[in-house]
Order: sequence, then structure tokens, then C-alpha cells
Amino acid sequence: MLDFLQALSDGVLFGATYALIGIGFTLVFGVMHKINMAYGAASVGGAYCGLLVLQVMAGAPPLVVFFCAFLAGGLLGWLVYLTCFHFIPITNPLATLMATVGMLLLIDEIIVHTTAGMPMAYPAMFDDVMLRVGEFTLRGDLMMVFAVSVLCMAGLLALLYRTRLGLATRAVSQQTVAALLCGIRVGQVNATTFVVTGLLGGIAGAMIGASVGTLSPLLTTPLTVKGLIVTVIGGLGSVPGAIIAGLMVGGFESVLQLYRGVTERDLYVMLLLFVFLVFRPGGLFAAKGGRD
Amino acid sequence: MKKIALAVALAFAATGALAQEKTIKIAGFGAKSGVVRSFGINSEAAMLAAADQINRAGGIRLADGSKAKIKIDYYDDRCTAEEGISVARRMAGTDALVGVGPTCSNVAEPLFGILQKRVGNASDSGLQFPIFTDVAIKGGLAQISEWAFRNVPNEMTMYSSLFYWLKTQHPNLKTVYGGVEEDFAHSRATWYVVMKNRAEANGYTVAGESKWLLADTNFATQVREMKKANADIVAISAHPFSTCGVLKEMQRQGVKPKLLVGLTSTSSLETMQGCAKQAEGMMIPTSFAPVNKEATAAANATAKFKGSADLHSMAAWENMFILKQVMESEKLSGNPKDLQADRRKVRDGLAKLRVTKGLLGDTKRTDDREADKPYLFVQARGGNWVVLHNPL
Repeated sequence: MLDFLQALSDGVLFGATYALIGIGFTLVFGVMHKINMAYGAASVGGAYCGLLVLQVMAGAPPLVVFFCAFLAGGLLGWLVYLTCFHFIPITNPLATLMATVGMLLLIDEIIVHTTAGMPMAYPAMFDDVMLRVGEFTLRGDLMMVFAVSVLCMAGLLALLYRTRLGLATRAVSQQTVAALLCGIRVGQVNATTFVVTGLLGGIAGAMIGASVGTLSPLLTTPLTVKGLIVTVIGGLGSVPGAIIAGLMVGGFESVLQLYRGVTERDLYVMLLLFVFLVFRPGGLFAAKGGRD
Repeated sequence: MKKIALAVALAFAATGALAQEKTIKIAGFGAKSGVVRSFGINSEAAMLAAADQINRAGGIRLADGSKAKIKIDYYDDRCTAEEGISVARRMAGTDALVGVGPTCSNVAEPLFGILQKRVGNASDSGLQFPIFTDVAIKGGLAQISEWAFRNVPNEMTMYSSLFYWLKTQHPNLKTVYGGVEEDFAHSRATWYVVMKNRAEANGYTVAGESKWLLADTNFATQVREMKKANADIVAISAHPFSTCGVLKEMQRQGVKPKLLVGLTSTSSLETMQGCAKQAEGMMIPTSFAPVNKEATAAANATAKFKGSADLHSMAAWENMFILKQVMESEKLSGNPKDLQADRRKVRDGLAKLRVTKGLLGDTKRTDDREADKPYLFVQARGGNWVVLHNPL
């Protein structure tokens, strides 16, 4: 039982990073009804950019690295919007999808060429802290990752439901034409959405780097896959769904690894996705469709 | 006027001589994109550095007494089998005499399968193109084709020697726990076929093993299993990214084995860049370290071509000098019309070798076209790999 609880808690805490990645996918889908396949790669790219601080200021505190990753993630999000959505006919869903796939590969290769594919040490906070209750332990750094993720999610929800920008975002998400008629600049809202999701992605990438302790271009593909799984299970376009699904997938994965081993783990995660697609295709909290 | 005429005549003569200067093309191939890109970069740099040294010394002496310069073309196989096979077919279609590569065992295995199995078998339409591997290390692959040769270390011998030495140095240590990256041909084979087997053969009890995948990010469960086993030695057969992830998780969970053993490929700059602090004390057998004048010079020459010297890239360096020796002893024509005959001569010359000169000493060649290279044990200390013991 202790092993089960331990695996579950480790997985759920780590699942917070999946939730952040899932939110990025789901928010873009919610607003533009498009999938941004480059999101995972841009998140890892943002985390790498955070390391540039250490080149300029050797020994800079981890918080500065995370903040730089956060800003770089936003910039990358905007660049992805410009290159894959702004200049490409939005009416052609395949064009934007393929553009983001191309961007995923491009970002991945830029990272690989810049770092020669070498893993790089990533700073962490509270990595030497371990909360112990008898045999049960909780990693300090994972709790910090969880806390940062929760703060980001809370910040995002506040932005969406307490600000004019959030109102505009929700309006575009629900009825683009009506939003246009109300004078909302849809292009600007879309670009802002990419910047906001990019900021979240940068933090997600940094948190993943901090929790593993190392950053590698190997992370881009699994993060993209996990992000998509979380988005589908949570319900396309649903931010609370992505949060719950991220934590759920993290816990599920960790428990399955304990009982079925690493070679079967991903098989069961895919099976879970399949079950959702068959029995609940709208996911846990499918967003209600707009009247468009 | 006479002076101008003389200068023109000399210029024409020089142009003619240049036109006649022969070139021997050697094709390098390996991973130059993707996460194992550093292997390809380092091998290419080592090949270019070696070719530069050979060319500056005059080049390769041909059958007619003339000299040919070496030219290197390096191809990216992206560490995927299909791309590797495609690259091999492309190389065989050029005027390249021999291929040096690949990086990954999962490329080498199917690639050797498309070469002619037995030399001279007219019914076998496989490629008749010699391949001399520098990096792909999974055991026994050269047996697949008589056109395949390897200059990679013999991990079975190296780990046997390492565990034997550890037994003599630390007789009180009894148990070994394994950590294995399950989805990479080399790491998987090295744990199940080599490390585990050699540890048991040297009297250790294998207390269990934890498994993970190359791109995994969470190692908490695996390290907890490791902690429960409480083994004296932890042997990790994984590449730097996941090795670093596991070592950092071991540090968090307070897992401190008495000894730490790593995979041959991990004795590289990558590990030091990813987790020097956590890797402190890790012991690895390797077939290269800059321990003598020649090895240091090779490492410095490779650095000038923006590559780093390790057991893999220095095998590429050695391959170039072995090929020079073979080309000269087999008296190549170097003419384009004799390309296939020259390829056969290179193959036959490589097959004849019994001993080759390596950077750490003589390398014995086996009947199945593999190498038995000299090696030493290195240990991670203060962010560097330092020589711990020379067992030979």
C-alpha cells in the first residue's frame, strides 16, 4: 500500500508539468480551434533559453533561470504564432497543423545543433529537501514544481475570468464572428493567447528541467505526446480538464510503472487514451461548442 | 618575353600535375542530427584530423608509386536503420573506397545485413562495399557479413576485467544492482549480456535491476527499487541523459552505493556536462584516455576540427591510419575504373590484419573481424575522467 501511495504521489506531483503542457495545447485549441504541435518543443526551447542566463551570469540563482525561461517561452510562443498561424490561411486546418509540425522539428533541430544533443545540467530548487512521514517521502523539488504549476494555473484562470483580455479571449473562443462585431481584435487576441501559453510553456519546460535535473532535446517528443494525451483526456479546450488530466496521467503512469514495469507503462497510458476516445470522446470536461 | 613564356609553361605544367593528383575518397557516416549528434560530430572531426595529418605527410602511396590524398565525405544516418541503409547504398554508388561508421548499433545490425554475406558468392547480390565501424559497439555484429569490420572495444573482456579487479580490490563487496535503459540496443545488450553475466561470473550476486527508457523524466520508482535492494555496487547501463536523471534521483533519495559502475559510452564529456557532481566516483572501462604522447596529440588534433576525443571518436582516428596501412600494403591502383577491385583489396587487406596499432597500444584482430582493444579503467573525479587503473 505504501508503494502504491508513494508512486501515486510522485506521479501526481510530476503530473503538474503535464498539466501545464496540456493547458498550452488546450488554450490554443479553445481560442483558435487549432492544434499547435510545436508547443512541447517551444517549451523545451524556452527552458534552454533560460540556461543562457548562466552563460552571462555564472552562478545565477535558479529563480532567474526560470524567469528567463518564462520570458523566452512567451517570445517563442509569439514566433510560433507569426510563422505558423499569422501568415498561413487559417481556414485551411491542415496547413497550420503541418506548419506547427515543421516548427516542432525545426526547434528540435536548433536545440540539437546548438547543444550537439548533449544533456545539460538544469538548476533546481529544494532538490535536497525531502519531506518524510515514516517510510513515505515527498520530494521538495517536485512539491515546488507542483506549487509553481498550481500558481501558474491560478494565474491563468484569473487572467481568463477576471480581466478584459480574458473576456476577449473567451469571447473569441466562443463566437469569433460576434467578437469581431463587438470590436475585439481577433488577431491580437490570438497572438496574446500564444504569448500567454508560451509563457506557461517556458515555465513548464523549466520545471521539467528542474525536476529531472537535466535538459535534453530528447524531451520534446514525449512532452508533445503527453500534452496531446492530456488535452484529449481533459477535453479539447477545457483548462480545468487539462489540469485534472495532467495530474491523472502523471499518477496513472507512475502507478502502472510500479505494477507493470516500464516496458508496459506507455501501453496502458495509450489504452487509457483509447478508452476515452471511444467512451468519452469529449474528454473529462469538454468545452461547450460555440453557436458558430 | 622569354620569362613570360617560361612562366606560362610552368603554370601549365603545374596545372597538369594537379589534374593528375589522385584522390582516395573515404566515406564517414554516423549520427549528425538528433540526440546522438555529438557522436557523429566527434567521429567526423577525428577522421578529418587524421586525414589532414596523413595528407600533410604526403598521402597514400599507390601501386604505381604515386601518392594520393585522402578526401573525407561524411554522411548523416540520423541513428535510424532506414536512413543508415539508404546512406550505405548512396556511399556504395559514389567513388568512396570504404565506409567508416556507423554510430548506432541499431543501424549497424541491419546495415551489415545488406552487405554480401560471403565474399565471392556470385549468388549473393548484397553490397560489396567494405565498412569499418568506429562506434556501434553491440557485441558480435561483424559476423553478419565478410565486408563488415569493427574497431570497437570488446565490452565482454572489459567488464570481465573490471569486475575481477573490483573483486580483488574490494573483496567485502558482494552484491550488484543493475540499472538499464531498455529501449537502446547498446545499453540493453550491455546489461543483459555483458555486465550482469560478468558480475555473476566474478562471484557477485545480482540483487535485481531497474529499467527505464531513454527519454524518461521520472526515475523515482526505479531508484526506490534500487534503494530497497541496498546493493554494494550499482551498475548503470544507460546513456548520459538518463544516467544523469537516475544519478540525481539517487542523490535525492539518499542512495549511496559503495561503488558505481557505468556504461562505456558514458565516459564522455556529455556526462560531465549533465551531472559531474552526481557521477563523482563512477568507474568505467574505456579504450581511450589521453595517457600518452600519441593519444594526447590525436585528441589535440581532433579538437582543432571541433571534436572531442573519446573511446568512439578515437576509434575513427585509428581506423584512418589502419586504412592507410592496408591501402599501401594492398597496392591500390587509385584509378576510377579499378574502384571495385580496390574496394575488394581494402576488404581483403582488413581481413588479413592480425594486429593493428592503436592509441593505447596494439589491438588484436579476431577471425570474426572484430577488435580486441587495449583498455583502462577511468573514474569521474572533479568533473573529469581520470585514469584509475591500467589492467594490461
